[in-house]
Amino acid sequence: MKTHRTKAEERHAYLLMVLPAVLIYFAVVAFPMIFSLWISVSDYSGGQIFGGSTPVRFAGFSNYVRMWNDRYFWISLKNNVYIVLLSVFGQIPLGFILAYALYRNMIRAKGFFQTVIYLPCVISSVIVGILWQTIFSPYGPVTEIMQYFIPGWQNTMLSNPRTAIVPVLLVMLWYYTGTYFIIFLANLQKIDKEVIEAAKIDGATEWQSLRHVILPALSGVIVTSSILAISGSLKSFDLIFAMTGGNPARRTSVLALYMYDTAFRGAPNYPRANAVSTFMMAFSFLLIIITKLVEKKFGGREE
Amino acid sequence: MRTIPLTIEDPLKRKKERHQPRTLHDEAGFISRIFFGLILTLFAVLSIAPLIWLALSSFKTTQEFQLNRLGLPATWFFKNYPQAWQIGNMGVLIKNSVFYTTVSTLAVIVLSMAAAFAFAKIKSKATPILYGSFVIGILLTIQSIMVPLFLMANAVNLLDTRLGVLIPYTGLGLPIGVYLCTEYVKGIHDSIIESARIDGAGYFQILAKIIFPMAKPVISTLAILNVLGVWNEFMMINILVSREALKSLPVGIMKFSSALSSDYGKQFAALVIGLLPLLLFYLAFRNKITEGVSAGAVKG
Repeated sequence: MKTHRTKAEERHAYLLMVLPAVLIYFAVVAFPMIFSLWISVSDYSGGQIFGGSTPVRFAGFSNYVRMWNDRYFWISLKNNVYIVLLSVFGQIPLGFILAYALYRNMIRAKGFFQTVIYLPCVISSVIVGILWQTIFSPYGPVTEIMQYFIPGWQNTMLSNPRTAIVPVLLVMLWYYTGTYFIIFLANLQKIDKEVIEAAKIDGATEWQSLRHVILPALSGVIVTSSILAISGSLKSFDLIFAMTGGNPARRTSVLALYMYDTAFRGAPNYPRANAVSTFMMAFSFLLIIITKLVEKKFGGREE
Repeated sequence: MRTIPLTIEDPLKRKKERHQPRTLHDEAGFISRIFFGLILTLFAVLSIAPLIWLALSSFKTTQEFQLNRLGLPATWFFKNYPQAWQIGNMGVLIKNSVFYTTVSTLAVIVLSMAAAFAFAKIKSKATPILYGSFVIGILLTIQSIMVPLFLMANAVNLLDTRLGVLIPYTGLGLPIGVYLCTEYVKGIHDSIIESARIDGAGYFQILAKIIFPMAKPVISTLAILNVLGVWNEFMMINILVSREALKSLPVGIMKFSSALSSDYGKQFAALVIGLLPLLLFYLAFRNKITEGVSAGAVKG
């Protein structure tokens, strides 16, 4: 039985411990999120929000409608979809294959390979962007390598609006695969090796043990990685900002960059920028829910 | 390229020792070994080649680079480095990045651990809603708070101040921090805390003397996630700070993308200087870092 005194002390301690984190979190994350929703349905155009000379009014969903009718919104969304597809069907499978190869002792010097493959992931995305911009530029080494094979090859990789997204996607594959590699490797190492040995003794081939033993054991990790990949892909900004700035002709723009341009470049349009960010959040949740549903449908069979 | 023959020879030798009769399955294993070994080698080479190319190119003059884009420098030219250091204000950038990263990481750890202890070990009706609101924050897209943060910082005169960077960085680190710490502290036995209570220890003493030392693994995971996140963060600080003296490394180095993009020698040197601090951090703590990243990812 607790006395009255310790109850009060308990409540006091709880308050003091929780309060600093809660205050900061609500000030810089929770409140701004609600604030952002409100801006997205207002006609706020800069200046004082409360008590300014022109009062801020409710504008309904007009900002969302204008966003919907802007072709650059669709160009950005299309690029984001490419990036999501690349991460789910490119980075994750490749990361898995690399992790599996290391896990099954397919090669010597495991520590070396592990260190090297994850290495790009610790470099700032801005540095990665500037580096690859130069590598793919007409004055960069890619031109020289390609001209060795195809004499007279003209490098328009980053200047042709129709293809400029391709080098960006290649860089993303280079940059982010290491993360999934590390996640899969850590989780593969948790699988009991004897289960695989037992399957081998029963005559299972490499492929069979991979399909019937290892992949089912990793289904949870695959779903988690996909969620990580989806929400990460929708947020991508720095790399593209540094590598192409969204150009040529805004053809490599993504939603985050479209939102940034709307809010902070030229005449600021805060309501539409927040309509974009709200859409991003909703789209991200939608894709995550779909991923969870897919997991439910296929996950049940394996267990 | 010595790794390829080694891949083929060595595992087979070991395999023969274990299972005497070589069956069909071992043949399949042999082929998959070549296949996987090749992929690993290829990807490892591709991972590191651009960085080696960058390092080599940083020792060429811009004129030499234009004539010789792929090879070794004909003469090793070191002056790019002092010049890039000076133009880019690298000393200030690195100092600022170290400051933002250290202070916000310490703040996230202390605040997360305190909240986690309360959430996990002190009963309260407020816990589900408060803890739940932190967990939802993990899926936040940072873009949806950028404009409000910018307007708020402007309203309270925190634009272009160190505090105006540290508070958002701390707040953004809290969702994953509170989540990881709470789940960890839940695993600590109640009896440990109860016996300390009986001995007359207060809650803050228990937090400092018992919980903190026991939570070292999760603290190191959190520290690593936060250091990597804050050090590389660009979008937020780019709008919150415009004074040269307050810029972080990623923001400051953007200068070498536009204004100096034709002066390749200096650009390369600046990029090498820019990636070196975190590269060294990675090489020093690589096992901890890979552990931390994979532990932090398991949150679905």
